[in-house]
Amino acid sequence: MNKITHVKLENFTSFEVLDQAFSSGVNVIIGANGTGKTHLLKVLYAACAITVGEDKERGYALKLRSVFTPYEGRIGRLARRHSTSVKTKISVTREGGSKLSAEFSNHTNKPEDVKTIGETGWKKGELASAYIPVKEMLAHAPGFLATAAKREIAFEEVYVDIIKRAFLPKLMGPVDKDRQRLLTALQKAIDGKVVAKGEYFFLKNKQGDLEFTLLAEGMRKLALVWLLIQNGTLLAGSVLFWDEPEANLNPALMGEVVEVILELQRLGVQVFLTTHNYVLLKEFDLRKQKDDAIRYLSLFRDKSDAVSSNASDSYLGVDPNAIASTFSSLYDRELKRSLGGIKV
Amino acid sequence: MIVLVEADLQITLPVGAVGRKFDDETAHGLSHCMKAVDFIVEMEDQVLFVEFKDPENPKAQTKDRAVFIKKFLSGQIDGDLKTKYRDSWLYEWAEGRVKKPIYYLVLIGSSALSDADLLARTDSLKRQIPMAGPGDRPWKKPFLAGCAVLNLAAWNKTLPHIPASRVGV
Repeated sequence: MNKITHVKLENFTSFEVLDQAFSSGVNVIIGANGTGKTHLLKVLYAACAITVGEDKERGYALKLRSVFTPYEGRIGRLARRHSTSVKTKISVTREGGSKLSAEFSNHTNKPEDVKTIGETGWKKGELASAYIPVKEMLAHAPGFLATAAKREIAFEEVYVDIIKRAFLPKLMGPVDKDRQRLLTALQKAIDGKVVAKGEYFFLKNKQGDLEFTLLAEGMRKLALVWLLIQNGTLLAGSVLFWDEPEANLNPALMGEVVEVILELQRLGVQVFLTTHNYVLLKEFDLRKQKDDAIRYLSLFRDKSDAVSSNASDSYLGVDPNAIASTFSSLYDRELKRSLGGIKV
Repeated sequence: MIVLVEADLQITLPVGAVGRKFDDETAHGLSHCMKAVDFIVEMEDQVLFVEFKDPENPKAQTKDRAVFIKKFLSGQIDGDLKTKYRDSWLYEWAEGRVKKPIYYLVLIGSSALSDADLLARTDSLKRQIPMAGPGDRPWKKPFLAGCAVLNLAAWNKTLPHIPASRVGV
């Protein structure tokens, strides 16, 4: 009973009403800049985070504030901007019908003034998760957690959380066949294994131990996924949120990343990812097997400038497809340039 | 008005243009050693080399369609398209007929390919033929004026005066 099945957002950031069912497998979120892709990931991640570990002591509203970091910590700033007062409502539902809701207005300042419903029941079932932000963080791990704890830096909490998860010790006991296959595939891609010494991460391979700061950023992200699988953060029943997996990654590695995501889904991990990348989308389309569950979610601004969504379980059904239409524009201009000289 | 047909695809030439089937074993006569584009169209100021590829031909097997799409996306088809152009150009040159700028048009009968896929193949074809001479400087004698890989929709949008369609429609 661990999959997130549905979200409803009313007057939240750029959304007027978003009422969306999710796939229990991979959810691929696309849309132009400013259509709220990352916001959607964070809303869902905050709901997962409060079911496990130290975040369990904190409420949904406080976690929302920590991952969004609105100005002066005022939660009301997450309400959709409007000339009049607005009421904001967030509802997240998971398998079995358990529902977590939060309500506030644009005037709400403190998290304790947010009306949350269903939080106690929601926290009864753990929903392990990891949120991989666009910026790679492991290279900056030394001293980061201590500094963040003193509140000396204004980093969104997703950065703190991912470093904490990366530091979790290796999962004890034998590694089952499926996990080992994934670990081996990633080791091949990054050409080594990851080791931590104190707060420093290294890539260990034939050449010795390489500091993370010496590695390409794309490689560090794959190394992070290796760590999350090795330490059991990403197991069946967990949820992976990955904001733009393509960032800093050579397109040639995209196929392997997509294969890893599909394999995680086959193991029972629910995945939410955002992307701007055609190669990543196309790799999903080409590598998808019969039993793989993928839902494409297209976010776009409607005539009233509010963000709406369209969902499709097939790549060709994605509409609007902001990524493909960019290519259509390039193709149109290429044809004009190449064939413009043909005259009757 | 001349209509050039190959299996289930056809193009209608504008008035004044002359077209002939080029990939015809008897007329070509050198099929054993030279590849050929399907048609050559002579217009007033330019010549078009036209090649049809039709994975969605109603007579095509589902398996063959899948094989074609895979070959297309992976770029394996580029080599075949390149050779067809080069051999056809050489044939026409040796016959003393290369006198006008030549455009190479590849019409793909597939609705499954996106504009991104078609753009990638167009770029690749331009690199492989190649359009520019050594050091990226223009050839002293133009070898190719322009080329593109198009589906039916893109063809009709770009070349409305040479409409393309399915025979069966």
